[in-house]
Amino acid sequence: MATPNRTHALPATVGDLLRLRTIGWREALEAREASILAVLVVMGIALGIAYPQFGTLDNVDNILLAVAQVAIVGVGMTMVIITGGIDVSVGSALSVCAVVVAMRIQDGAGIPEALVVGIAVGAGIGLVNGLLIGLGRVHSIIITFGMLNLLRVVSFKLTGGKWLTGLPDTLNYFGSGTLLKLPFAWWIAMAMAAVATYYLRRRPTGRHLYALGGNAETARLAGVAVLKRTIFVYTITGALVGVASLVFVGQAGQVVQTNVGYGFELDVIAAVVIGGTSILGGKGTVIGTLLGALLVGTIRNAFVIVDINPLWADFILGALILLTTALDLLRRRGRET
Amino acid sequence: MLLSLRGIDKHFFGVHALRGVDFDVREGEVHALVGENGAGKSTLIKFVAGAEQPDVGEITVGGEPVTIHTTQDAFRLGIATVYQEPQIFPDLSVVENVFLGRELRDRFGNVERGEQRRRVRELLASLHLDPRLADRRMGALSLAEQQLVLICKALAQEARLIIYDEPSAILTQRETDTLFGVIRRLQERGVATIYISHRLDEIFEIADRVTIMKDGQVVATKPRSELTVAQVVELMAGRKLHTGIEREAHEDEEVVLSVGGLSRQGDFDDVSFDVHRGEIVGFFGLIGSGATDIALALFGIEPADAGTIELDGRRVSIGKPGDAVEHGLALLPKDRKTQGLFLPLSIADNVAAGNYPLLSRLRTFILRTQERSVARRLMQSLAVKAPSATTKVGNLSGGNQQKVLLARQLVGRPKVVILDEPTRGVDVQAKEEIHRLIFELADGGAAVVVISSELPEAMRLADRLIVVRSGRIHSEYRRGEAESAAVLAAAIGGDGAASGVGGDGDA
Repeated sequence: MATPNRTHALPATVGDLLRLRTIGWREALEAREASILAVLVVMGIALGIAYPQFGTLDNVDNILLAVAQVAIVGVGMTMVIITGGIDVSVGSALSVCAVVVAMRIQDGAGIPEALVVGIAVGAGIGLVNGLLIGLGRVHSIIITFGMLNLLRVVSFKLTGGKWLTGLPDTLNYFGSGTLLKLPFAWWIAMAMAAVATYYLRRRPTGRHLYALGGNAETARLAGVAVLKRTIFVYTITGALVGVASLVFVGQAGQVVQTNVGYGFELDVIAAVVIGGTSILGGKGTVIGTLLGALLVGTIRNAFVIVDINPLWADFILGALILLTTALDLLRRRGRET
Repeated sequence: MLLSLRGIDKHFFGVHALRGVDFDVREGEVHALVGENGAGKSTLIKFVAGAEQPDVGEITVGGEPVTIHTTQDAFRLGIATVYQEPQIFPDLSVVENVFLGRELRDRFGNVERGEQRRRVRELLASLHLDPRLADRRMGALSLAEQQLVLICKALAQEARLIIYDEPSAILTQRETDTLFGVIRRLQERGVATIYISHRLDEIFEIADRVTIMKDGQVVATKPRSELTVAQVVELMAGRKLHTGIEREAHEDEEVVLSVGGLSRQGDFDDVSFDVHRGEIVGFFGLIGSGATDIALALFGIEPADAGTIELDGRRVSIGKPGDAVEHGLALLPKDRKTQGLFLPLSIADNVAAGNYPLLSRLRTFILRTQERSVARRLMQSLAVKAPSATTKVGNLSGGNQQKVLLARQLVGRPKVVILDEPTRGVDVQAKEEIHRLIFELADGGAAVVVISSELPEAMRLADRLIVVRSGRIHSEYRRGEAESAAVLAAAIGGDGAASGVGGDGDA
């Protein structure tokens, strides 16, 4: 048997690598942050020219305020989806947190107490989700879908079905305050996103979330603490729902209704998935989610400005989720063959 | 001595899988492990990789007795395994794949990305690989490159012994050469290798020592220089055939299935053969030879690109499994758990699946009572050992599961039965019974095609044995004409093999 020349075997491999590099358009589509930014700019300019009121500072503030909660919860949801899970209970969880926080400030609680109570209730709900999913080894959509319905009733029972009215303005700053011309709520979202980005990029356990979503069994064999990480991501998401509930109550003003957060999960999941996080897990960034939240807000706002039935905004968001998921699947299947 | 196994014994479900095996690896040597399918190579390796524990026997690493319960234990002892299908995180970079779970941390506990990257580039360069691989996404690499990255991972964890389980089965010649270059460089550094392969030419290229296994025992361990390919083939193959019932060569004029020039790009080429009524035609080939692909094409699972299939003299086109069933073909798939059975369902449900038109009134209303009675009748004639027809299939032994699967294929009284590795993962006694059933099937008039990568089985079952090599029919033997060493040599290939045993493999 002839002995092939080893040193010549290598350039062939390098050639193979270069050939792989030429699949350009897919890679470009995968740089999701850049494409969302482009869409945002194009939409902004087009709408700003056609409808001058769109470009006003007030309206930009409106958009930012409207999606601050989506952005805050989106940070946690990104981590959940990176691990290959999903949390559809955030809408009802927001409702429970908001109702509890509103009841506390009605009784005269200050900001610190509201913050502690909101986060504690939210984190508690997330912990239950995480434990059931992690210990029961049940798919997250089953558990959180159950919680979605169950918590809706909890929030209804807490208020006895009545609206909470005559709330003091304790949380106004969370709802509409500004700092350096940006809504305070967005500063919260950006701070959370900064911490999460650091965690996901630099901490070993943060990298493990990607491993978990990429290949759970291999991750376990590599020494990733699967149960701990699972419980962690749902608990953090719950806690962030608690934070978002303060923003919600602050924006609601004097009245909190019992239908808080209906459809909230759609906006959050849309922001995360549109922001480039793979619904199959293993891939995604928090920055993408913030941009995704802005896109969700801009779309919703555009329907109001252009005066089309806002129902169509849900249609567009649903379609965008399907489209980005389809792109994701195409990418994976392309890889498998 | 780096690794030493002494007096290893292992039973699986009553099968004596390994008996009294002694095996050792010296520092920096390439030790090849060869043997037929089922000889016990993989089982032996599992003890070292931490996937299984032996019943009896001692394992020592560097002279110290050890117990290896998990992959992590093996890693800590400096033993890493590279499987055929790499275990990877496709969306993470090469660097992260190398360090995942054992990240380098700075004093704040952050991942030291710069340092990790530097080390991976260094490792790649030291193996004469392109350091730019370090920044690629793992999923974008070829399987060969992924294997090489996993070798880097093993080195990053200071492995002293790397085990390769048939790595070349999925590699091209050029990729195999690259892998061998890497193995040689590791050898210079004192890293030892256990290399499992069917391909004797490769083994003679890379190995320092060769251990040959047969029937769960080590037949010989010798330096490569003291062996010839022909000797290895003889040591692998020379075993007595099964005892128990045998079968006379079968003669029947009536051709049931006739295949002409069947081809599929990259898998098999110009395959032609006839199967007569009551005849068992066996296909024997190594893994990757294309034998299984031919079966899948016949059944329309992955249809052929070219060629003809005739049934009872009429040409048929089989583009999907439904067509095959309609024309009276039945397939016993290779992997009963993923391709065949519904483990949580009952025996009756499993037998009925796919046969509902036959078990219903007006092809519409399923008759549960008939379903059960048919299942019970087949259970009896196939000797399925289970309390009742409502027993869950998941609770049965491998052999009985296989019989249930066979029962399903027989409900429709097929003209042609294709069996792909019919006794994979069943115990010796069940194997014997399944062989008897296959004989009965043929005696009952069915045309039977059996694909087996186990030589004694193929030789015992087949009235006519067809050897497939590299996607082509290499040679054909009638019952009684085949001699196991010659057949194995024909399937393995290599000039040494064909001439060494002195047989003319080509019929």
